[in-house]
Amino acid sequence: MRIYLDHNSGSTLRPEAIAALNALLLEGEGNPAAVHRAGQRARRALEQARSEVAALVAASPSEIIFTSGGTESNNFAIAGALGALSTRRKVITSAIEHSSILAPLVNLENRGFEVVRIAPDPEGRISPEAIAGAIDETTALVTLGLANGEVGTIQDLGEIARRAASAGALFHLDAAQAAGRIPLEVDALGCALMTLSAHKLGAPAGSGALFIRDDCQVAPMLLGGPQENARRAGTPNLLGAVAFGAAAQAAVRALPLEAARLGALTQSLFSLLAAQIPGLVCNGPPKDRIPNTLNLTFPGVLGESMLIALDLEGIQVSMGSACAAGAVEPSHVLLAMGRSAREARSSLRLSLGWNTTAQEVARAAETIIRVWRRVSESEPAAAREALS
Amino acid sequence: MSARVLVAMSGGVDSSVAAALLREAGYEVVGVAMRLAPEPGHSAGRRATCCSHEDFEDARRVAERLDFPFYVVDLREDFAARVIGNFVSEYLAGRTPNPCVMCNREIKFDRLWRRARALGADFVATGHYAQTERDLGGRFHLLRARDGTKDQSYFLFSLTQAELARTLFPLGAITKAEVRVRARQLGLANADKPESQEICFVPDGDYAGLVERATSRDRIRPGRIVDRAGTALGAHRGVHHFTVGQRRGLGFASSEPMYVREIHGETGTVVVGRREELYCAGLLARDVSLVDASRTVGRLEVEVKTRYRQNSVPAVLALGAERRAEVRFLTRGPAATPGQACVFYRGEEVLGGGFIERALEA
Repeated sequence: MRIYLDHNSGSTLRPEAIAALNALLLEGEGNPAAVHRAGQRARRALEQARSEVAALVAASPSEIIFTSGGTESNNFAIAGALGALSTRRKVITSAIEHSSILAPLVNLENRGFEVVRIAPDPEGRISPEAIAGAIDETTALVTLGLANGEVGTIQDLGEIARRAASAGALFHLDAAQAAGRIPLEVDALGCALMTLSAHKLGAPAGSGALFIRDDCQVAPMLLGGPQENARRAGTPNLLGAVAFGAAAQAAVRALPLEAARLGALTQSLFSLLAAQIPGLVCNGPPKDRIPNTLNLTFPGVLGESMLIALDLEGIQVSMGSACAAGAVEPSHVLLAMGRSAREARSSLRLSLGWNTTAQEVARAAETIIRVWRRVSESEPAAAREALS
Repeated sequence: MSARVLVAMSGGVDSSVAAALLREAGYEVVGVAMRLAPEPGHSAGRRATCCSHEDFEDARRVAERLDFPFYVVDLREDFAARVIGNFVSEYLAGRTPNPCVMCNREIKFDRLWRRARALGADFVATGHYAQTERDLGGRFHLLRARDGTKDQSYFLFSLTQAELARTLFPLGAITKAEVRVRARQLGLANADKPESQEICFVPDGDYAGLVERATSRDRIRPGRIVDRAGTALGAHRGVHHFTVGQRRGLGFASSEPMYVREIHGETGTVVVGRREELYCAGLLARDVSLVDASRTVGRLEVEVKTRYRQNSVPAVLALGAERRAEVRFLTRGPAATPGQACVFYRGEEVLGGGFIERALEA
């Protein structure tokens, strides 16, 4: 049996999501904007999904806009905020964000906007004082990942929300990796915008949402029909939304016990590995982290070799992000945290999920130890560097 | 459990069929495409290089079709240090390197083998046209391919006993035509894909440009072009623009065709001559290795091949100290180009080879 430890890339489909998809496929989809009864049924399904997704972050359903996923939501948040506050030319973010934040901001920078990127500390924490201190009257947007998908760090938001509000800037949180893994309440967090992603929760990829607080004006990014309360044109992905809703509901129900269970499994996985692999380093902070994520630097080996060798042994993990050719690049998050390129190349991410069992963790640990020994003997990373 | 073999796949038809044949033979095949060139090729529509995304996708499709795992591995650092670095310094020294020989020796049968072991593989396989054979005494032999027109044993002369023991060449006993037929039978999309001809990390063929980009100005060696009598015929911008036997691009007019005969990397002098002046009596080789290192040293009658696209010629080989050798052609032989591989054959068998240091006049 293969063991899947890459839930931060995309979680296994939850049975609740599959059941919701099946029911909808049998019923027939329909266009929620249509007047006829098929349309009415579709609309009902969409609105129910909206309520379920809203409950994930304690928002009201009218504040949830369905999108094609986390990338669209992040792009939408940036474009929407700058469109609404068109006289302001400054965006504040961190150096460890997802590419769907970093790339649009590079684009803005090229067009003359000021982008402030706060560097993390060695454990991936962004100083809330540094963020808050950078906010001024020219700031349109503060955008920050609530939990980092590669190392698992949960950010302390401090006074960021209050400071942004008093300066008239919008505060966006990318919660794609946090939602469903830790309890979230948009009011307590104080954000105006929040990105959510379906496939990190156990629904299919291609579905996500942007929370837009009711009192918050943002410009639409996709133009066309009046769907999603005229904030996101295009016939909504009903199947994606319904599966998202079902997965969100399941995640919320399971959350209190599930967070503790995953935290214990993750801790146990690290302890088993650290006992046998001298010099193993866990990247990220000791606490204030999402409970399912381990980012480990394996001494003396290339992560790429570990990744492939583990896959051949049935253990599926990940490393950095894949390039267009399918090769892996060292993680920009680890580099920003001050790790060397070599350390980043020796690191793997193991992310557990709703269907990970204690038996799987024990077997994965055993295999990882065996594979690490073989790789470090066969292809020592230090000898390799001595040659070049 | 069957033996696991790591197959180096370029996306071309040869390595694809090699993988297919191994799978049919019962091996547990793991396909890998190596990322080697510094920048992945972005050449739209151009398919002459071995590291472009399209080539990786071709290899991936073959793996999907034949249902074995496939990965892209990043060996760019090793390739830059051990192949491109050598390519550049050889050109700057006035020699003409053979990066494919170097890539085989340094990357495919050394670096990739260590990766193979890390992945729990017992063998490395490639789509080279060459054969290996194990004799009753347990010694391995490297032989020309059955398809003489495709034979690539020239590029493999440096393989040792240990390397041959862990290397598989599934195409050694079949012809290129048969490979294409097999590819079509297997429904492989790349069955009729043209062969790559250029050096993979110089897809535009501009070697001099690559050398200049990879080096500092003070290492470029400009100088004079002279004839054998020492008469100055012109000047040039760097010895790395030349290879022995080259006729075009010499930059001066002459009543009869003139060819590059010698390149002196230290002084920058390029000596040219008429065609018949290129022929030489033999050559000195360095970095010489024998496939069977236990073979007795001494004089050997061999056939020697001094360029890939040249027939082998009869010669006498005398092995010397410090991995050097002297090769005497039985009749005056073709130009010997310093830096190129010279490979010693006896009949179908590769005895070994080395790199040409210089031609022998007499």
